[in-house]
Amino acid sequence: MIEIDEDKLIRCPVCDAVNIDKGKKNSCRRCGSAIYHHKKFSTEKSWAYLITALIAYIPANLYPMLVTSAFGSREGSTILGGVVLLWEMGSYPVAVIIFIASIMIPISKFLILFYLLISVKYPLGKDKKVNKHKLYYFTEVIGPWSMIDVFVVAILAALIHLSSVEILAGTAATAFAISVFFTLLAAHAFDETLIKENR
Amino acid sequence: MKLENEDALNHYIICQQCYTLNEELPIEDGSKACCAECGEILYRYDSKLIDHALSWSITGLIFFALANAFPLVMIDLLGSEQFITIPKTIASLFANGFYIVGFLCLFLIFIFPLMILLINIVLFTLLKTGRGEDLTKELLILLSRITPWSMADIFFISILVALVKLIAFGQIHIGISFWALMAFVLIDLYITKSIRIPEIWMLRKKIFPKEAAA
Ligand SMILES: [Zn+2]
Ligand SMILES: [Zn+2]
Repeated sequence: MIEIDEDKLIRCPVCDAVNIDKGKKNSCRRCGSAIYHHKKFSTEKSWAYLITALIAYIPANLYPMLVTSAFGSREGSTILGGVVLLWEMGSYPVAVIIFIASIMIPISKFLILFYLLISVKYPLGKDKKVNKHKLYYFTEVIGPWSMIDVFVVAILAALIHLSSVEILAGTAATAFAISVFFTLLAAHAFDETLIKENR
Repeated sequence: MKLENEDALNHYIICQQCYTLNEELPIEDGSKACCAECGEILYRYDSKLIDHALSWSITGLIFFALANAFPLVMIDLLGSEQFITIPKTIASLFANGFYIVGFLCLFLIFIFPLMILLINIVLFTLLKTGRGEDLTKELLILLSRITPWSMADIFFISILVALVKLIAFGQIHIGISFWALMAFVLIDLYITKSIRIPEIWMLRKKIFPKEAAA
């Protein structure tokens, strides 16, 4: 018979098995994966990915995402420019989708991850009004959807490539893809058990 | 709380969404158990899980093959007919020097969705025949690592967005692969929603019970 504090129970991030938090080195009793728990460097990895993502997000917004060249004239459009253009053309639903996927989701993910990473280290987020587990789950669910614009550019560039009319992917496509990739990494690297400890 | 030993934790499950500890109770065939706190689905019970998973994965694989073999979208552009397939879309990124985006697309919309289907087929075949105690474990770990990176559904929505943008360029025709991809995405969605990884672990425990003693 063992007596265990319910707060000491953690979920394996790989297989979801319930494990007892034994301090520094935990390995899951079901799948053997290391349950990340580094007392000193608990959030550093996640911070590093998040900052990389943030840096890549700047050129992603400044450079053209898409370059349209028609009969000799070339015209680039940025993420925001593309949204405005769609709106002016009257394609409101698509403009809204791109705006949510490329601007709202990345920015809210940055803010939520910043908040989570700070709040598990400093008393700032000790209020119990926000369920931080739900917040984290939310970022995991919405995160991948910001890839929409990258896929759209890939489709358009592959389909429209005549010598007279051509669509090319722009520099921002690479920067944006890198940014999304690193925000996903940052979210995966975040140690959810830290929320529990600092509740 | 008091526990017999550490293995007694197998009868508990922590909610994915809100991290609440729930006790795992036996439920009726075909029903589901939800979190006491937030209502998120914790697990289901399906006595024919292996057969269902196998048949859905194989159907998914057929549609995945069809989705990659034929044109997705065709367009009449200044009198010439252009079309794309999924492999052609990825290849065109590489051809234009977009290696990073190309690699990301290759993995997110081709390699990972395909791997998930193949892993499911191998995994459930092994579970059905009661073999591969270690291999099933490795496959399950791999499965949970790549599942968040499979984005076929997001790619499908991207095609719809691209279609709206293409209207300005010329007459658009939808190809066979578009419908195959739609079927694949729906099957993929159904598989990930109805066959959760913790349930496969529970099933594996029932099939290979001796590991618990070791
Ligand atoms: Zn585990
Ligand atoms: Zn819950």
